[in-house]
Amino acid sequence: MKALGLLLLAVLPLSAQSVRARLEGRVPASSIVAIDSLVRVAAAENLPTEPLIQKAIEGGAKHVSGDRIVRAVELNLDQYRQAQALLVRAGDAPPVTPAEVAAVVSARKRGLGAPVVERIVAAVPDERRSSALHAVADLVGHRFDPDSATALILEAVRQGMHGLRLLDVSNAAILEIQRGRTRAEALAAIRRDLPNVAAAPAPARAAVQRARRPVAATGREPSGP
Amino acid sequence: MNPIDPRVHQALDGEIPRDTLPPELRRQAERLEAVAALLAETPAIESVAARVMATVARPAPTRGRRLVRWFVTPHAIVLRMRPLWSVALAAGILFLAFFPVRETGPRLGQEEGVAQFVARFPDARSVAVVGSFNDWRPGSIPLEDVDHDGIWRASIVLPAGTHEYMFVVDGERWVADPLAGRYIEDDFGRENSLLIVRPTKR
Repeated sequence: MKALGLLLLAVLPLSAQSVRARLEGRVPASSIVAIDSLVRVAAAENLPTEPLIQKAIEGGAKHVSGDRIVRAVELNLDQYRQAQALLVRAGDAPPVTPAEVAAVVSARKRGLGAPVVERIVAAVPDERRSSALHAVADLVGHRFDPDSATALILEAVRQGMHGLRLLDVSNAAILEIQRGRTRAEALAAIRRDLPNVAAAPAPARAAVQRARRPVAATGREPSGP
Repeated sequence: MNPIDPRVHQALDGEIPRDTLPPELRRQAERLEAVAALLAETPAIESVAARVMATVARPAPTRGRRLVRWFVTPHAIVLRMRPLWSVALAAGILFLAFFPVRETGPRLGQEEGVAQFVARFPDARSVAVVGSFNDWRPGSIPLEDVDHDGIWRASIVLPAGTHEYMFVVDGERWVADPLAGRYIEDDFGRENSLLIVRPTKR
């Protein structure tokens, strides 16, 4: 029996072995095979795999039952497929990268509707897309109208802003409503200021000097922007 | 003083014809007329008082002009110092030249940034942050409440990008960061906080 187990282990792909090794002790043992299977399906479809593993580990850390963890991983896999289809529908040439798929799913989970995401995906080049999605999601999270928020961020992109600077645009608009302006006034004010929106302040020198590295940092690449 | 005959005055003022004057007075009147003409042609000489007042009334030089003047004027600088201090100063300069002060804290990579976590849990015994950056391992990144005011803090070096996280209070209570401003469904019926780390250049 032990020999059979060793034989099976030997024929499994290395990635599958490492997935199971990472899940051992972190999720209920009964769910490991199902999660591993879902991760392999995702890899075969060129969908993100690391966020699926993270989702499973997160469920285990939160003491969620094995069934719910498997359901959550399945749900995420399904969302990735939908995001992949959305990207192709919006004009991306297949195969779309896992990072782009993950960015779209993140935006959808943050409350952006599919039409808004599709509009941004169709309008924004790849390297700016993730930041643009987060910037619009930030605004929608603060109850800005999705279409107006999208229009503001797309205008910022049109004026040459990209990357994390797009988050400065959403931050500036949120700051305006905290100062007492209506959302419409805030959007109009920031639109007038484009592209000269204040940049986010750098962390204080003391905070940087105090900073420490997490003991169990994985060192894996995070998702964008 | 040589008094002038009143008739000469009258003749100069045109009150009487000059021909009515005796010859000597007539010559005196002509000399006086010549002197008056000479005085009228001579330019007025400025008085000493006027020149002094003009100098006093001149506007004071501007601060910039005074500064320039101070810089271009030679000054004697006397530095009184005990020899012991001068040796110590020289030693200090040499030390800084050969052993420059190094930045404390971690060395950050090009694609790394510093995330600051702050949370208020007045009755907590421990607070930790867990997330996608530490494989969701509770306890691996504890926050500190140094002055026991219920405000827990941590500064952590993280890869630039997007991370999901939550606080774990007293090792068992999972709480989203109320100050995060960004939240995302966790697919287990709750919301994670979302953090976007910007690269910090040092």
